Amino acid sequence: MNTAVTADRAVEVEQPVAARTSILRTILLRQETWLLAVVVLIAVIASIRNPNFMNPDNLVEILRGSVIYFIMGCGAALLVIGGGLDFSVGAIFTLSALVGTSLISQGVPIVVGILAALAVGALAGVVNHLIVTYWHVPPIIATLGTFFMALGLSALITGGNDVVPLPAEFMKLGQGSVAFIPNVIWYGLIVGALSYFVLEKTRFGVNVRAVGGNRQAAIGNGLRVVRIDLVLYIVAGVTAAIAGMIYSARVGAGQVEAGGSSVTLVVVTGVLIGGVSLLGGLGSITGVAVGAVLLSVIDNALIVAQIPPQYNNVVVGAILVGAVAVDHLRRKQLYKPR
Amino acid sequence: MSHLSLPALELRGVRKSFGPVNALSHVDFAAYPGEVHAIVGDNGAGKSTMIKIVTGIHRGDGGTILVDGDAMDLRHDASQSQDRGIAVVYQDLALVECLDISTNMALGNLPYRWGVFLDRKRMDAEAAAALKDLNARVGDVRTPVGLLSGGQRQVVAIARAVRMNKPIILLDEPTAALGVQESAYVGRTLDRLRADGKAVICVSHGLEFVFEHSDRITVLRLGRTVGTRTTADVSRDEIIAMITGAAAADTLQEAS
Repeated sequence: MNTAVTADRAVEVEQPVAARTSILRTILLRQETWLLAVVVLIAVIASIRNPNFMNPDNLVEILRGSVIYFIMGCGAALLVIGGGLDFSVGAIFTLSALVGTSLISQGVPIVVGILAALAVGALAGVVNHLIVTYWHVPPIIATLGTFFMALGLSALITGGNDVVPLPAEFMKLGQGSVAFIPNVIWYGLIVGALSYFVLEKTRFGVNVRAVGGNRQAAIGNGLRVVRIDLVLYIVAGVTAAIAGMIYSARVGAGQVEAGGSSVTLVVVTGVLIGGVSLLGGLGSITGVAVGAVLLSVIDNALIVAQIPPQYNNVVVGAILVGAVAVDHLRRKQLYKPR
Repeated sequence: MSHLSLPALELRGVRKSFGPVNALSHVDFAAYPGEVHAIVGDNGAGKSTMIKIVTGIHRGDGGTILVDGDAMDLRHDASQSQDRGIAVVYQDLALVECLDISTNMALGNLPYRWGVFLDRKRMDAEAAAALKDLNARVGDVRTPVGLLSGGQRQVVAIARAVRMNKPIILLDEPTAALGVQESAYVGRTLDRLRADGKAVICVSHGLEFVFEHSDRITVLRLGRTVGTRTTADVSRDEIIAMITGAAAADTLQEAS
């Protein structure tokens, strides 16, 4: 730590409210704390009903199940923190995976197929951005529209049939493992680390929070907000495409029925549960990670504990509402009226 | 004060309408280095619109803005006005509540290492140094701005503009909603900026503050410049008459 800074801190006279914030309160204010408590609670209940829940294979399965949502959640979280919203990610997932796997199944090199899928995701992001920025359609409506368009295109290009068979080398990308850790989890770790780095350690990340936190202030301070928006929508689209290709490699097919509305809703839910504020500015990648794991734990625990799957939606819905209520409380703690 | 030098910022016949509403029909003034130039006028006189045109938030419809004698494109954006040497403190402060003090002070110009890494240490050190330099007491530079009082936010906003070290500083109602002590603090800061040779343009409602700290006063009324007076040579009653329209404008300037 710079000594000059420390000296300056020593001469503070007025103590702002924040200085009185105790460590305990800081921890309690973090969304991750509460989420982890819920995860532990569910794990305890599930392992009482079925000790196999804590089996290492099952725990790996839980992580594996969370990766798709986490990867898409990283892109979606950056976008929401920057003040946007993307409901089309589930359909981008489907469309880009079908384009990529179709090309690969027709003998195009795997790398080219993957790049094509990512390009579809990026293009969808550009389209979303154009509609939101230049046609002034609110993000929720704009991306709902592109959601339907992308799903329709998916059905058109495949004629409603899954893309099979896929080459073994491609499927290995989603099914193999390196150093005893499944590839899929590695992908999640890489995307997560990259997103964390961008959001917390780069100028771009700070600018994203500024745009989401107070758009007028960001403009007034000379930030190029339109360009930041564009990058964020592209990132959301590309992470959806990455998730789509990982999923296809894992299941060994480009599935027409995969993705769609359920994936969109789970991703947005995971992001909000993870403590990303719909009002922009606040949120973290670690929160999204815990949110994605929580959703996967609930999925898994209900199956392992042999609780009817209908309860899944009830539990997820309740946690979502609770999480957003906590977000409101958090904002009240963070901001006082001028 | 001699005006032998070029004006740091000069507006000539600047106008702006929002649809059918004529916000500015003809605004002129010239602010020189080393002076505090107050802009006064009633609500709706066009003070804030004028500031937003200079800083690039709004686009002027016509007229000329000169910085050091060079015309500035009326379609410039906020970052271009920074590049031309203009720092601004907005009335609505333009601070991001969820970011901390040091980030807010560096926003738009964040320090970095190796191209991409945010230089957090330097950011904190610069913010602390800038606040200390201005004798500001707002606490830890890592405090989110959302936790600060209105006065503390104003101090941060001013420190932000001062830290940018631009030759021209615009302040929009810097003492609105401030207490007596905080207003005095802002006044001392303006005095210091003048001593540093900056051109300080200060939009204000508070005539007491204006008479205490400005060198010259330009009065706007209904989107027009009524006139500019040297503060030492003018009475408060005359300025009030200019603001309310009881005194005639210096010249009848038709919008071109």
